Amino acid sequence: MKFKGFLKDVGGASRVTKARLAAFENASDKPVKVDPIAEVAKQWHPGKVELKLVDIIDSCKTAKSFRFVRSDGEKLPFFYAGQYVVLDFEIGKSTVSRPYSISSAPYQAREKNGYLEITVRRAKADGFISDYMLDKAKVGDTFMALIGNGQFYYECLRDAKHVVALAGGVGITPFVSMAREVAAGKLPIDLTILYGSVAEDDIVLKEELDKVEGKNVHVVHVLSGDNPDWKGEKGFLSADVIKKYSAKDTTYFICGPQVMYGFVREELKKLKVPERRVRFEVFGQARDISRYEGFPASAKDKTFKIKVLRGLKEDVIPAKATESLVTALERAGIRIETGCRSGECGFCRTKVLEGNVFVCPENDGRRGADKDFNYFHACSTYPLSDATIKIPIL
Amino acid sequence: MKQSSGFYKDKYDVIVIGGALAGLSSALMLADKGKDVLVLERHNLPGGVATSFVRGGLEMEATLHEMMSIGKKENRLKVGKFLDDMGVNIDWLEVPEAYHASLPGGVEVTLHPGFETFAKEIDQAVPGTYDKVLSVLNLCHTVFDSVNELSIHPMSKVKMLLKHEAFVKTAGYSTKEVLDTFDLPQKALDLLAPYWIYVGSGFSELPFTIYAVLMADYVGYGSFVAKKFSHEMGVKMAERATEMGVQIEYRQNVEKILVKDGKAYGVRTQRGDEIYADYVISAAYPNKVYTQMVEPISEVPQRAIKVVNGRRVSLTAFSVVLTLDKSPEELNIKDYSVFRAIKTMDTDELFKELGGLGPYTYVTAICLNLANPDCTPKGQTSLSITTLPRPEAWMKVKAEDYDELKHRLAKQFIDDMSEYLGVNLLDHILEIVIETPMTVARYTGAWNGSIYGYAHTMEDHIVARLQTAHEESLIKHLEFAGAHQISGDGMAPQITNGRKAAKNVLDSMAEEAQK
Repeated sequence: MKFKGFLKDVGGASRVTKARLAAFENASDKPVKVDPIAEVAKQWHPGKVELKLVDIIDSCKTAKSFRFVRSDGEKLPFFYAGQYVVLDFEIGKSTVSRPYSISSAPYQAREKNGYLEITVRRAKADGFISDYMLDKAKVGDTFMALIGNGQFYYECLRDAKHVVALAGGVGITPFVSMAREVAAGKLPIDLTILYGSVAEDDIVLKEELDKVEGKNVHVVHVLSGDNPDWKGEKGFLSADVIKKYSAKDTTYFICGPQVMYGFVREELKKLKVPERRVRFEVFGQARDISRYEGFPASAKDKTFKIKVLRGLKEDVIPAKATESLVTALERAGIRIETGCRSGECGFCRTKVLEGNVFVCPENDGRRGADKDFNYFHACSTYPLSDATIKIPIL
Repeated sequence: MKQSSGFYKDKYDVIVIGGALAGLSSALMLADKGKDVLVLERHNLPGGVATSFVRGGLEMEATLHEMMSIGKKENRLKVGKFLDDMGVNIDWLEVPEAYHASLPGGVEVTLHPGFETFAKEIDQAVPGTYDKVLSVLNLCHTVFDSVNELSIHPMSKVKMLLKHEAFVKTAGYSTKEVLDTFDLPQKALDLLAPYWIYVGSGFSELPFTIYAVLMADYVGYGSFVAKKFSHEMGVKMAERATEMGVQIEYRQNVEKILVKDGKAYGVRTQRGDEIYADYVISAAYPNKVYTQMVEPISEVPQRAIKVVNGRRVSLTAFSVVLTLDKSPEELNIKDYSVFRAIKTMDTDELFKELGGLGPYTYVTAICLNLANPDCTPKGQTSLSITTLPRPEAWMKVKAEDYDELKHRLAKQFIDDMSEYLGVNLLDHILEIVIETPMTVARYTGAWNGSIYGYAHTMEDHIVARLQTAHEESLIKHLEFAGAHQISGDGMAPQITNGRKAAKNVLDSMAEEAQK
């Protein structure tokens, strides 16, 4: 066997070894400490940053907008219009977090003196945090925040240029962000927002919506209550009204109360809209888990003992069958990372080592292999017996 | 400085930084030998880039093209055997073909694993080449066997020359130099080239040894994917390691490796926990460890800086991952993997092109359904289109231009694939995720977002790596496991790299026990 002559052939290993050692000898001895690719990743996704509340603005009789800047004076990270921010709240001995759609536009965050706004409405049920924001938060307060989460945004390679947003209640907020971005010429789409409210004075951010109405943004209010003086669209967000504002190829974005989702899904079916043209914002935590099929009635009023493992540490906490594992942990003052609180993002991925649990069928965004090995997203998982779980040390 | 507040033991035998395939392989092997191991992973999942994600209720494969070194159940190769031996039972599915080559000039050839089959199929496309192609493959196989044996049983140079002649005699040459001696027509050479992207250097600087191992493994024994996506590998390895007594903690970002008198003795996490161990295995790149992580930084020997600066960080990834609302048949997709060279199959030219920001004219399109029909609901298709750029040009990308760039490149990929298939894929996208070097950097912390460690070149040759490995152990009791190690890139080689790090630790433990 011969390639380029016996001696050259057999000397190959020594030759390449020398070459390698020579490369080290000739290399610079200055440490390269910066990785520019990691730096760009960090500008988009810096992890948690501290925000300072700088303004509180009334958005309607039941909602307020909160404006934040970065405490360290740095630029806010990038995000897409429609995404949410996860805010941490230190309440008593607990740190709890909540996702809020960002209602300001991405360009407003990146300008000089850039800011970020969310809009919070008084909740009818489970209003622990919204009450805190509306009643207790004050200018100067600081919050840790993870900015730019979720998949609810216009993706130019996937979505139609003509976008119809179907909004209900405070579900308008991601669309206000989109509308502001479109109105400023930063997002090249035609956006029509069909906004369902009960009455005119329920409309959240009405003035803001009036301001962005223009060439590529149309806001159509649809009132469902008894409003004899109302000249605009009436009723619910039904197939007829949706069709009226649709183009031949339209992508529909839907964000609103849970009851609206089922209704709109059926209406869009009537219009034979292809699946890829329909984008729902995440569902949110189930209002009443005991009403879902498969949830055992016998468990409904029970409270179980959950052994919580973090590293080698063990704690035992009570957990109601009708509250998610995340809620139980937060009540007990045990920190768990959460994002969407709808089973989608997987931030709260938790191993269940022993015991039975129930997963909200609307909110099971787990990977297949995770299902096989008893990993759950704790925000959408409810205990049905005493159990042992393992969560990350935070 | 807080000493672990009850979360950790006072001390471990080994701390492994990184719970991806390399780190978990280290952990498995060490646990198998009765060692007390802690794995710290920055993400909330195991697997690193070997992962999946869920969009709109659909699980999507993040990265894997296919696993080499697995082999069929009755004839396992080293990685498949290691996983079996460790009790990690992956549900492997065999990939039906080696690849479909779509080359300039209308060349469309599907090649299947098995040396004779592969050579026969090339002969059908380029008549009269059967014997020569088969002898290329046989040479590859001989070198492959030698590498496998020598990595376990090192021997003297003379003995090596007698027993491993082909390995010794090709070691000093590039892939181009060796292939040229076969005097094959260009078209046949082109059909032997597509896998180059899986090692990431042009043929004039790629050691033939690496090409030989790659071809022998893939073409000889086929390739495999895990039924529940790459995430199945990470989860099953992590579960098995836990069963064997390994402590794995997620969301623990290790910021510092603690070193005293030239010897590692622990780590500090971002949370502030200081955790101690006799040994540390790092999946973080040496570039990061030696410039940011070693504490105090004065413990970094100058040679360490020269070693990392003397090596070239290899390729990173740009990938468009799609779920489409039609079946593969409806989209005219017939092959699991299509290697598509639009302009040229000259790997040196392509390597140059990968140093820019596109347009990229060499892509790999993978339709996972063809190996794993259940990877999507019926009537849908999982398709990813990938190229592997060099980090250099991406280092100049500004954060404000990043989004436009990634969409522009993704559109080029989709448009080209649409033209190739004769179906406008833009009309069928249910979900799209664009992965970039920045995505890799974000989730794994890999230096420059590289997925390939250091480039395989004639100046950083695997044979030389093996010869001088001992000189690169620059801080005692600190080992590395990852694509930056001897076996280089690829998911299966990560398992080999992880085992090697564990072996180094075990050898050092045995040696010190004797003293």
